[in-house]
Amino acid sequence: MGVMRMGYAHVRVTDMAEAKDHYANTLGLYETLSQDGRVYYKGWDEWDHHSVVLEEGGVGLVKFGFKVEKAEDIDDIEKKAQTFGVTVERMSQGENPEVSDGIRFTTPSDHVFEVYHGQTLIGTEVGSHNPEAFPRHLVGVGVPGLDHALITCDDANLMTKFLQDVFGYFVTEKVATSLDEDADTIASWMTNNNQIHQLAVLSGPQGKLHHFAFKLGDWSEVGRAADLFSMDDVPIDVGPTRHGITRGQTVYFFDPAGNRNEVFAGGYAAYPDRPTVVWTPDQLGKGIFYHARELNDRFTSVLT
Amino acid sequence: MPTVTIDPTGEVIHLDPNETILAGLYKAGYAYLIGCRRGGCAICKVDALDGEFDYERPVADTVITDTERTDGTCLSCRAVPSTDITIRLRGETLRLVNPFLASINAKARERAEAYAAAQHEKNNLSTTTKEM
Repeated sequence: MGVMRMGYAHVRVTDMAEAKDHYANTLGLYETLSQDGRVYYKGWDEWDHHSVVLEEGGVGLVKFGFKVEKAEDIDDIEKKAQTFGVTVERMSQGENPEVSDGIRFTTPSDHVFEVYHGQTLIGTEVGSHNPEAFPRHLVGVGVPGLDHALITCDDANLMTKFLQDVFGYFVTEKVATSLDEDADTIASWMTNNNQIHQLAVLSGPQGKLHHFAFKLGDWSEVGRAADLFSMDDVPIDVGPTRHGITRGQTVYFFDPAGNRNEVFAGGYAAYPDRPTVVWTPDQLGKGIFYHARELNDRFTSVLT
Repeated sequence: MPTVTIDPTGEVIHLDPNETILAGLYKAGYAYLIGCRRGGCAICKVDALDGEFDYERPVADTVITDTERTDGTCLSCRAVPSTDITIRLRGETLRLVNPFLASINAKARERAEAYAAAQHEKNNLSTTTKEM
């Protein structure tokens, strides 16, 4: 099936001690490795070795990893990326701890993507034999896992095409300059399975991170997460609210280095044959923040 | 105890020791465009027209360039003034959102000024005594 999901987000943080406190104690991720100045985490319901990597020094994205189902999928994606005109390099097993061999390339949006087919299996925190519903002693928000990311680039049309051609993604929702057939894409939300989006792209500067998101179950968990952010003095950007786009329920907030995080719940099931939802710029406020119905000062400008 | 003066509107805000400009202004009931509050997004940059400040925590090169470290650019969420400082916001005006905090801050500034004046007087007196 090719790409299964965004497997990891690797980001820079200015102060590792503060970042560890945020990701472990506020979000409740499980630390699985600390090596060469990097700290690796997984959520309780993730089975692979890690989904978040922190690296001290600077802010913003280092790279994303995408996990494919089979080793052969790597060759297929390599060919498609090359056909698109992107230079692809091979990476060997162990270049990233506990991650298989694969490929690495810089996308037309100037982000580094790695594609791999295996990670050391740790297992979820509830196991897979007659499991309980959730671990009893979750810390903080207790996020179950990584969900998706939003990145910016100067040509959203091109990056959308790239993800369609190379990853086999389809567009579930988009913001277009108008409802005309030939309208330009301002932003698009993409996936290749029932998850409403694995990756979204927004017009803006090249190579920037808007946010990466962790999944939650429902509204009440999103509200509880926001309460915990207040308790831990985590700056909330917006929410709890709903996105018109994807229908997801959300809180945007910042990690101690200023990288935007999100907790995201809901979103309807995506299908490739479902008509793409189109939003026009005059309704973008409602599309992003369904209740306030206007963008805040930070949505298009605060990036790392 | 440094103060922050806003150019050109003239508000004067009293800061506690080691307080950042952003933290001080918000604690005094004022608001302006800020983002992550944590040195990552660069949106809260202002121009320091007069006075000294330090970044007491690491600031990424992608957020403050080498040029910006010397041209008066001030990342207000990380900048801790070491002297009285005058700043100008970029393309907006400071908004007063909590007048109660502003009046508490004004009183704190008056007390700090009175204390500083008293200290000054005392030092002058002791100098005079020595001279005698």
